[in-house]
Amino acid sequence: MFLQIAEWLEATAPGVLVRESLWAFPIVVGLHIIGLTLSIGVLMWFDLRLLGIAMRGCPVSRVYRRLMPFFASGFVVMFVTGGLLLSGFATAAYGNVYFRVKMAAIALAGVNALAYHGFTERRIADWDSAPRPPRAVRMAGLASLLLWTTAVLAGRMMSYTMF
Amino acid sequence: MIDTDAWLAAIETSRIATAIAGSLWLTGLLSAVHLVGMTVLTGGAVVSGLRLTGVLLTDRPVVDVAGAVARGMLAGLAISVASGLLLVASRLSTALSNELFQIKMGLLLVATLVHVMLYRPVSAGMAVHPVVRWTTGAVGLTLWVGVALAGCAFILLE
Repeated sequence: MFLQIAEWLEATAPGVLVRESLWAFPIVVGLHIIGLTLSIGVLMWFDLRLLGIAMRGCPVSRVYRRLMPFFASGFVVMFVTGGLLLSGFATAAYGNVYFRVKMAAIALAGVNALAYHGFTERRIADWDSAPRPPRAVRMAGLASLLLWTTAVLAGRMMSYTMF
Repeated sequence: MIDTDAWLAAIETSRIATAIAGSLWLTGLLSAVHLVGMTVLTGGAVVSGLRLTGVLLTDRPVVDVAGAVARGMLAGLAISVASGLLLVASRLSTALSNELFQIKMGLLLVATLVHVMLYRPVSAGMAVHPVVRWTTGAVGLTLWVGVALAGCAFILLE
């Protein structure tokens, strides 16, 4: 079933364009990397605040509110360009182990974010201004850093092993 | 007098350069590490640049926001430079003659000098005129994003 979906994606207009246009692929990849910088590159500094390593004098909630528009915008760019890239090479990605690792890392990072915002953040009033937040908060930051780093590493390995 | 061609040839044919060039997996891993370094560096440039230009967390002292970030950017730079050198080692002479690579290296040199001589002291809270702080943030951010874009162009279009 997934292979059939992959073949369908490759036959769509965006898929054909990304795969066969001289300029579409480098432009989309370039935007994907810029999106990466804006999303994960900015989010990691929030993760480092959760770990109590960076911006220790700033309340966690304030850091989140101020950084969120930037890394959210970056994630929008990443997901749109990532979707375009996937549509062009879906069957090759389907069979690639690094693609599966990347998707798993992204899914787990999403679960980690939901868990943080749904549970850990409920008692933020207790630790918002603490230079070193409680263990559960630090673990959420560490998990985010590790999972997104895994996604970046696996994503780059894809391009060396897919073709 | 230094024989540049001999030095380049020695680097290109070194065991480590040859090993990397001969291994797609090793090249991919180094490229991935290079991308992580670039993400740390450029993401840090966005955060600290936006603080210095008065966009982000302006109610906090500059050093609280940009100080640690500027130090972290140096870690990202070290990772990027080390992995980048290993990646081009086997084709150094070809890379050096490539215009996009020359642009990237030029921007990298200027960005590093600006970072060490101006960006870090200002991020650490050195008393400067607001215009100087704003200019430092804007120039630093522009240079590092420029390095990233030039790097993308070099990889995709060489």
